[in-house]
Amino acid sequence: MKTMADYIIKFRWFIIIGFIAVAGVFGYQIRYAKIDADMKDQLPADMISRINTDKIDELFGGTEMLMIIIRTDDVLNSGTLKRVKELSRAANRIKGVDKVLSLFDLKSIKSEQGAMIVDPAVDRIPKTDEQRENLRRELMDNDIVYGSVVSKDFTITAVIAVIKDDVSDAYIIPQIEKLVADHPGSEETVIGGLPYIRGNVSRNIQNDLQHLMPIGLIIMLIFLFICFKQLRGVLLPFFVVVMSVLFSMGLIPVLGWRIQIITVILPVFLIAVANDYGIHMIARYQEDNTPGNTYTKKELAKRMFRTLSKPVLITGLTTMAGMLCLLGHALVPAEQLGILAACGIIFALAASLFFIPAVTSLIRKPRPVLSRPEDPDHRQRLMERLLWFFGRLVSNRPGTITIVALILSLIAAIGIFRVVVDTDPKRYFSEDDPVVYATDLIDQNLGGSQNISIVIEGDIKDPRLMKKIDSLERQIGRMDMVGNTTSIARVVRQMSRALNDTDDVGYDRIPDTRNAVAQYFELYSMSGDPEDFEKLVDFPYEHALITARMNTTSTTRLNHFVDTIRTMVANDPNVLLIGGIGVVLSDLARLVVSGQLLSLTLAMIIVAILLMILFRSVIAGLISAIPLTLSIIVLFGLMGIFGIELNVATALLSSIMIGVGIDYTIHFLWRYREERRHGLDYEEAVIKTLTTSGRGIIFNAFSVIVGFVALLFSGFLPVKFFGFLVVVSIFSCLVGALVLIPSLCLIFKPRFLEPK
Amino acid sequence: MKWLTVLTAIIIILTFSSIFAQEKPTGREIFDRSIDATRLAGVEATSTMTIIDSKGRERVRKIAQVTKLYDNGDTEKKLVRFLAPADVKGTGLLTYDYLKKDDDMWLYMPALRKTRRIISSEKAKNFMGSEFSYADMTPPNADDFDFKVLGEKNVNGTDCWQLEIIPKNDDIADENGFSKRISFIGKDDYVIRKAIYYDLDGSLYKELNVNKIVLLDPKNKKYRLMDLIMVNKQNDRKSILKVDEIKFNPDVKDGYFTTRYLERE
Repeated sequence: MKTMADYIIKFRWFIIIGFIAVAGVFGYQIRYAKIDADMKDQLPADMISRINTDKIDELFGGTEMLMIIIRTDDVLNSGTLKRVKELSRAANRIKGVDKVLSLFDLKSIKSEQGAMIVDPAVDRIPKTDEQRENLRRELMDNDIVYGSVVSKDFTITAVIAVIKDDVSDAYIIPQIEKLVADHPGSEETVIGGLPYIRGNVSRNIQNDLQHLMPIGLIIMLIFLFICFKQLRGVLLPFFVVVMSVLFSMGLIPVLGWRIQIITVILPVFLIAVANDYGIHMIARYQEDNTPGNTYTKKELAKRMFRTLSKPVLITGLTTMAGMLCLLGHALVPAEQLGILAACGIIFALAASLFFIPAVTSLIRKPRPVLSRPEDPDHRQRLMERLLWFFGRLVSNRPGTITIVALILSLIAAIGIFRVVVDTDPKRYFSEDDPVVYATDLIDQNLGGSQNISIVIEGDIKDPRLMKKIDSLERQIGRMDMVGNTTSIARVVRQMSRALNDTDDVGYDRIPDTRNAVAQYFELYSMSGDPEDFEKLVDFPYEHALITARMNTTSTTRLNHFVDTIRTMVANDPNVLLIGGIGVVLSDLARLVVSGQLLSLTLAMIIVAILLMILFRSVIAGLISAIPLTLSIIVLFGLMGIFGIELNVATALLSSIMIGVGIDYTIHFLWRYREERRHGLDYEEAVIKTLTTSGRGIIFNAFSVIVGFVALLFSGFLPVKFFGFLVVVSIFSCLVGALVLIPSLCLIFKPRFLEPK
Repeated sequence: MKWLTVLTAIIIILTFSSIFAQEKPTGREIFDRSIDATRLAGVEATSTMTIIDSKGRERVRKIAQVTKLYDNGDTEKKLVRFLAPADVKGTGLLTYDYLKKDDDMWLYMPALRKTRRIISSEKAKNFMGSEFSYADMTPPNADDFDFKVLGEKNVNGTDCWQLEIIPKNDDIADENGFSKRISFIGKDDYVIRKAIYYDLDGSLYKELNVNKIVLLDPKNKKYRLMDLIMVNKQNDRKSILKVDEIKFNPDVKDGYFTTRYLERE
């Protein structure tokens, strides 16, 4: 009877060409892949705050802003003002800039000697000290500009370009950068705003994709060479990895998806994990090809397939299962990463099982690299000594090891309570990045970079509703993390100050009749751009917008704030919805947590079920879950201790860890059961397993660890932390499999591992 | 005598040809005459302004208006009173529009029973929240612009001069809100038929079309634009200004143009 292995040899040319063709076709698609750095696109399309934010954009128009921030001792000095004027003027002349907000563009509407005066906030650049101080006093009274385009201490001013809806970041950002470069000055000048953060994210993604892949591949080549010291041992797993990366990256445009921040993890993940199966195959190949063997090249290929197809298949399946559990994340890129990684793993699994034997059956039988076990070999003996030590340690003191593991995990568990959830896009960058600096300046001096918006529905001209808007806005404005608020009520009050003298009853208040409100509106529409007005109230006067900008980007405080606002307006029939980037980020944080819990639980259950099926025992699933659970505790504990936030990237860790980390336990249990069946007693079986399979397990784990080291070179902090944590957690899974699992086997002596 | 006949003929031909040569006016002349062609000594009118947003929603305002020229045409006094909608009815705006300096403006709000003087240097601002700017509604200072005749073009059956109008410097461009304007001005009557505006970055911005004109003062050949539509090409909003009733009256009462009258509802 012909076996699968025979068919592989028979159809080897078909297999080889088939794999290369599929990888080639998909790899060619990568050129159509687009990068998407929009925070909003990470959210599921049915999430309320995303829908609300889109609804607000539809009602009131988008407000994407690029900010040029200028900092000096006193921005009212004539040199700086001149530069601001030139910047504002040139910005007005850039295509794609809808309008410009600056000291020279925004208005001053004030009451003076019985007249209402409408002028640019800075009409003339002051020449004398006296003029300068007069201007300063005037600006301090102008709440359109004070604290929003000029800081309250006059050390910072901003030229804000409001970007048209249909303009791409890739076009407009270089325009603004060129604008700044064309108007140099002695003042410190930085660029900020959400489009700029997004643009930088996009640039870093490209950089990462260009650098992480080569770094990862080089590290892997070196590692493979150290392991196998043979060209085919290096090239075959390498080729499998490259094909699986091409295949899964090519899937992105084929499925109509885009490359997002956490997609940069995909190629590195595959480099680290997809070589595992190939490594096992080559290891077996070299083991069989010791000096003096008589196998033909075809026989070597078949042996490699026959002996390894089952464990390789199972470890591949558990890894896939772990990755597919990322579907439990509601976050779009996490779901996509799960599917793409699972597809890449399937491809790598198939290529390792079919492509590698097919190729080795074709090429000349190599000279042996491995010595026979009885020959002295230094590296092997060092490793062996270490494994012997583990073996003796475990067999002598299984109870102590278990207790020590539990105590260490409990200590780490304290850190769990300090784990912080953070989805602030600023945190993608390191503290000294200009993007962070600019955002901090905006948050602390210019009103804030994130916002929450409340849509009010009703007859907006009704003074009762207008007063409600006014009191709601003031109430929110008094909260300590709010930097700046805007609403139509504020404009009405501003009109009332321009139209009444300070001692009039109507000064600085909402008028009492509907007609008066309507007439204030009419007046404002005469003195401003009608589109400005429509950022606050819609065309038919049925919806009004209250916007609060926040001087903090901390997700914890943001969550608290969003909750407070939600409670505040919960029973108000006039409040239609709450949205804005602040709410989106706050919901994103909740999603990260709930997605984390769901995908973690799912992964644990599915992996446990797979083990139960593999060993036909419920206990098998439970025992193997113990080291995983402890590793998860250690993982989150370390995050708390090192202050690494749970965010879009680090939330993916646990699923990956479970999917990959369970492999070592499987390898151990599989071999241990075999040794028990061969008649060894408990301690002997543990020592034997550790000294034989243990080596493979260590190589396997180190190939993963080494592969993920590439992520430390990423331009994103979360991705860097991800790399660090994956290294630590895979290591803890390794220790769990080599020390804790054997101890548990010795303590509980589970029946499923016993000879039948 | 034959040489004399020849000479006379030559002189006559030269004279006529110089007249023909003069027939082609300069850009500045076309512009000045176009301003002059619609400067009526006195008018009483009611109009409807319809503002339509990009989704097709409308806002309608009805206004009554009286204007009168003073100082040999250098000053135009204008009183605008809102008739509808009801919530702004009675709101009044009195403007003294000077050719060479900033305008004087007073606003009366019936809900507050109060008149306020408004001082503003900005001309790019929109008139009554429409797509028309103050700069479109009041004659600009011709010295601020450079003019160039680009050619002749027929606009809806009227032969027009195609006139390019460019602000002389960035300050003026900022103030008026455009970097270039192409006007189409009737060759016979010097009344504007169409204008295309380019914004500060040079992109197409607004388009004005004049659909109807009337000769209101035949003696002085003065016209009135009766039906204007301004389309903002960037945000798809448009505004239509239609004159519903109009009467030429050079003897409009001077008492209309006082803040005291402004406050009478």
